[in-house]
Amino acid sequence: MDVKSEIAGKVWKIVTAVGDTVGEEDEILILESMKMEIPVGAPGAGRISEILVEEAESVQEGQVVARIEA
Amino acid sequence: MDQSKQNAPGTGVRADLQAVLDAHAATQDAARKVAVDKQHARGRCTAREGIDQLLDAGSFVEYGGLAKPATKGMQGAADGLVMGTGKVDGRPVAIVAYDYTVYAGTQSAVNHGKISRMFQYAERQRLPVLCWLDGGGARPHDMFVQSMSMSTTFVTFSRLSGLAPTVGIVPGRAFAGHANLAGLSDCAIATKSASMGMAGPPLVEAALGMKLTPEEIGPADVHMKAGSIDLLAEDAADACRLARKYLSYFSGPVAPVAAPDAAKLRDMVPESPRRAYDVRKVVEGMVDADSMLELKPAWGRAMVTALARIDGRTVGVVANQPMFLGGAMDSPACAKSARFVELCDAYDIPLLLLCDTPGLMVGPEIEKTALVRHSARLLSALANATVPMMTVVLRKAYGLGYYIMGSRPLHPAILLAWPTAEFGGMGLEGAASIIYKQELEAIEDVAERAEAHRAFTAELKAYNTSLRVGERVGFDDVTDPADTRRILSATMDTFPEPPRRTTKKLTVSPI
Repeated sequence: MDVKSEIAGKVWKIVTAVGDTVGEEDEILILESMKMEIPVGAPGAGRISEILVEEAESVQEGQVVARIEA
Repeated sequence: MDQSKQNAPGTGVRADLQAVLDAHAATQDAARKVAVDKQHARGRCTAREGIDQLLDAGSFVEYGGLAKPATKGMQGAADGLVMGTGKVDGRPVAIVAYDYTVYAGTQSAVNHGKISRMFQYAERQRLPVLCWLDGGGARPHDMFVQSMSMSTTFVTFSRLSGLAPTVGIVPGRAFAGHANLAGLSDCAIATKSASMGMAGPPLVEAALGMKLTPEEIGPADVHMKAGSIDLLAEDAADACRLARKYLSYFSGPVAPVAAPDAAKLRDMVPESPRRAYDVRKVVEGMVDADSMLELKPAWGRAMVTALARIDGRTVGVVANQPMFLGGAMDSPACAKSARFVELCDAYDIPLLLLCDTPGLMVGPEIEKTALVRHSARLLSALANATVPMMTVVLRKAYGLGYYIMGSRPLHPAILLAWPTAEFGGMGLEGAASIIYKQELEAIEDVAERAEAHRAFTAELKAYNTSLRVGERVGFDDVTDPADTRRILSATMDTFPEPPRRTTKKLTVSPI
């Protein structure tokens, strides 16, 4: 499962790690955009297999920022 | 003696009456076991079972039940459309239900005539209309029947919106004409397993050479995310419950129920102005318990549109949603909200605007989505609405976003701010850069300049807190979140009764 950013912005904080188990809509990382902290949630439950961005990195709308194995 | 006046053998009922009773009985589910069993095996209920769940028990009066297909050699109960009048919670409605067990619920020459008859009656009596849309578009066999091409079904149905609420229910499959009726409904409801599309598998295959199932063409979750449907139901029974609930908001006040715990509202907005929170919880905390019905929750997620009640009276809530895009208003959110404002205005439902937005979304990507037009549409809908509106600024009120979200120029009946409110004609960091341009440019050291910029921004922020703006009467009051519901309810007491309408106020646009 691809975890996509729904907004362009900067990665502010990564609050999970590879291997973590998450439920649907759990926060995986937090972006900073429009002067707000915007959580990026899990599209479904599973285990985080990849985190593809680093803190302070810029991301585009629709960019895959992490992957989850169901 | 005329044979028809003799009693049918062994019944004690005259033969002419018996013939009618038999003809009616043949259209009922009990007489159509094979077809009904087949529908149940698909995991779906029949049109008549749908009607039973939608209407008050015993209230259904059927029209045109004896209709037969126009094409020679075809048979089908009520020609695939069960319709009539009935009641929902004691109030009259018209209902039309396509019967999937008759040629896949297709629209025929005869049932087009039937449905137009029902729509015309609903138009004359201003009856809400419930449509059970279980079918696969036009019945090809009837293309040789001349009247097939003269059907006014969709034209008449288009005109109903704004006269009385229209609801389209998609319990299974709705393609072509059936999807069109869903698209023209004020409120479209689909079950999770439903599929819908403007063209079904045979047309898609003919035009694109793709062999697809109905579910591959237009599953319900796709339509939820695209904004084509308003409510997603677990199953047919849930869809009927939602349809009844939706109609309840349009039929005047109900007895007030318990108010939620008001004190909870005090902690809903996080102390950090940068943190997101779910505005749905604010709405739930402000309106009557269990009265919130959110429409189109999966589309235009930067805003929440919901029907709800305050002390038993319906209110249409439009709220920014900080959980998505930080509450920045994008094109889908503006389009959804504009249409919702039209819906409320058309049926004289007052509006409640909850503002927490950093403004309209910015950047090259959003401009490609015609935000210039979509945001204008929302502003236009609010500026032209004649229903009273009330505004509560929960937190951020910036730029054109705030101007649209019920600011002073829109003349809200009351304009309240919570203590967490912060204001700015534009983002204050940007404003500081412009206002103090000369001062900032005069500072050579970069760190020193950044520090000065922070100080200027803080100065502007201090000038724009809710208390300071309240002193300048930028709104009607700064209020304790826990007292907000009481103030809104008391404000609603000052609203005049909406006029008794004999014509429509406006048509609700399909999207």
